[in-house]
Amino acid sequence: MKRIRRSGKSLVAALLMSVTAASAEEHAGPTSGNVESGPKPAMKHTAPACSDARPDCAMTVFPAFDRKGRLWVAFSVGKTVYAAASTNGGKNFAAPVVVATVGETGVIDSHGDARPKIVAMNDGGLLVAYTTRPDKQMIGTIFTARSTDGGRSFSTPQAMLAEGGQRFDAWAISPKGRIYAGWLDKTHALKAKAEGRDFAGSGVAFGWSDDGGATFNGKSILMDHACECCKMSAALDRDGLPVFAWRQVFEDGVRDHYAAKLSADGSSLSGGRVSDDNWAINSCPHQGPALAIDGAGVWHVAWFTKGKTRQGLFYAASRDGGKNFSPPEKIGDEAHAPAFAALLAVKDRLYRVWKEFDGNATSIPFQMSRDGGKTWSAPHVLATAADASDNPQLVANNKGAGYLSWVSHKEGYRLIPLPRDEKSASIR
Amino acid sequence: MKALTAYTGAVLAAGLLFSSAALALDFKPYGRGDYETLLKARAGRPLIVHFWSVICPACVAELPQWAKLAAARKDVDVIFVDTDDAEERDRAAGRLEKAGLASASHYGFADNFVEKLYFEVDRNWRGELPFTVLVTRDGARTTLAGGLDDPDLVNWLSRNVGK
Repeated sequence: MKRIRRSGKSLVAALLMSVTAASAEEHAGPTSGNVESGPKPAMKHTAPACSDARPDCAMTVFPAFDRKGRLWVAFSVGKTVYAAASTNGGKNFAAPVVVATVGETGVIDSHGDARPKIVAMNDGGLLVAYTTRPDKQMIGTIFTARSTDGGRSFSTPQAMLAEGGQRFDAWAISPKGRIYAGWLDKTHALKAKAEGRDFAGSGVAFGWSDDGGATFNGKSILMDHACECCKMSAALDRDGLPVFAWRQVFEDGVRDHYAAKLSADGSSLSGGRVSDDNWAINSCPHQGPALAIDGAGVWHVAWFTKGKTRQGLFYAASRDGGKNFSPPEKIGDEAHAPAFAALLAVKDRLYRVWKEFDGNATSIPFQMSRDGGKTWSAPHVLATAADASDNPQLVANNKGAGYLSWVSHKEGYRLIPLPRDEKSASIR
Repeated sequence: MKALTAYTGAVLAAGLLFSSAALALDFKPYGRGDYETLLKARAGRPLIVHFWSVICPACVAELPQWAKLAAARKDVDVIFVDTDDAEERDRAAGRLEKAGLASASHYGFADNFVEKLYFEVDRNWRGELPFTVLVTRDGARTTLAGGLDDPDLVNWLSRNVGK
């Protein structure tokens, strides 16, 4: 598989020229290139597991613990976004609350990297964010709805921005209660398109709210050319400022990673490139990076690449605010297509989980580090799924316990405690 | 004259009916196991299987060029597989029609166990798009992550098709 690409346009021109030349020489014949000749498969394939308003009927489930230790999840089934709470570790959920229903032509972003999210505030408030795509393929609108009555009801959803096109929101809440959001924003790309200019990817935009999500300030693009089809991740640094990680389109279409902190006044970013994988490709990896920041202020990033320099799932850390990152360390069993890593830093423990597939079943291996990501426990499988499954999510409660949150079609929703010491990390 | 007008109207109506029928995009369901079935059914001819999605701007942007390729290269079978959920199928159809691919051969993911579907095609494929499989007359397979502008695709066509 070749991944280096020179200027695409000349190649396409060359290709089409060769196509025209070849077809002119071709003998006329009755066989059309696209006539169906194969057997027509019956509708034997698995439909979505169920269509009820339950987390285990959703393609994606996003978890958050509130200050009382209740587990909240945001998910969508069909055209409706729901929030639901569990007081027994995800075994049962109270009747889900409808946050929003989109119209007939709308689609809720809820697949792979894109998903409705919920964040729990220090004052007991909840904020649900979701993205709809009303018409064109990548032009989304991020909506937020807040609850000030402990999740019994949610406000009428409001658009973060009314135009321009936004997707892949990421959230972090400061100890003072400021809600930070980052997202990928198509505004500059659409402007360039209207003016007939080329524009790679999306902008990276940020906003914040000091009133529990009722209004957002900032909402400006601080950097251009993020890869438009991969999620952003957010984490809070120890100084209370948010850090974001995303896939960036560098020169020559290289889609590697970048991590940066938002300044206190929200006007600038400081950070750097996570690694030089040299994945030059005009494509959608559909797989953004994971980010966690520990109590020592170390930035931890995990990502997927098929670059010229390296291929697979990788981890690196920065101890100087994103200026330099450690050499990328490979994660997982290469024979099992490791992908979709998640990271969690809680107290003095750092966790990483990811997805592997052996041809039959999906597994979620995990590793724990007690030294800020320098060394890791041996990988052990936390959970497996025999059929379709979501990407793994990691979440911590306010007592410092970490969990894997994972929904799969056959097994349902699972909240699995992460081992807290080396001994229990090595059993399983 | 009146008769002629009526006749023309009937022909036009028939034409409209016919063209709307021809335009109706039929996505055959694509699930686990179907990849090998597809390839077996087309053994002996060069084949391109192209995976794409409406949420992949790079994929959508190059669809018109795929239409030109499919139209010009009747000596290679081209199959398009939309990897979106069923709820995106209408907009996928819209994209294909706009690109001039309404009459091509289309499949749509009808199985949420995408890891399995990816694995059957290439055990290193994690879902990045566009993704294309090139199958020669004698069954040799090459997978390409990336766009139609890949020089490997150009080379493959010149080596395997239209001789």
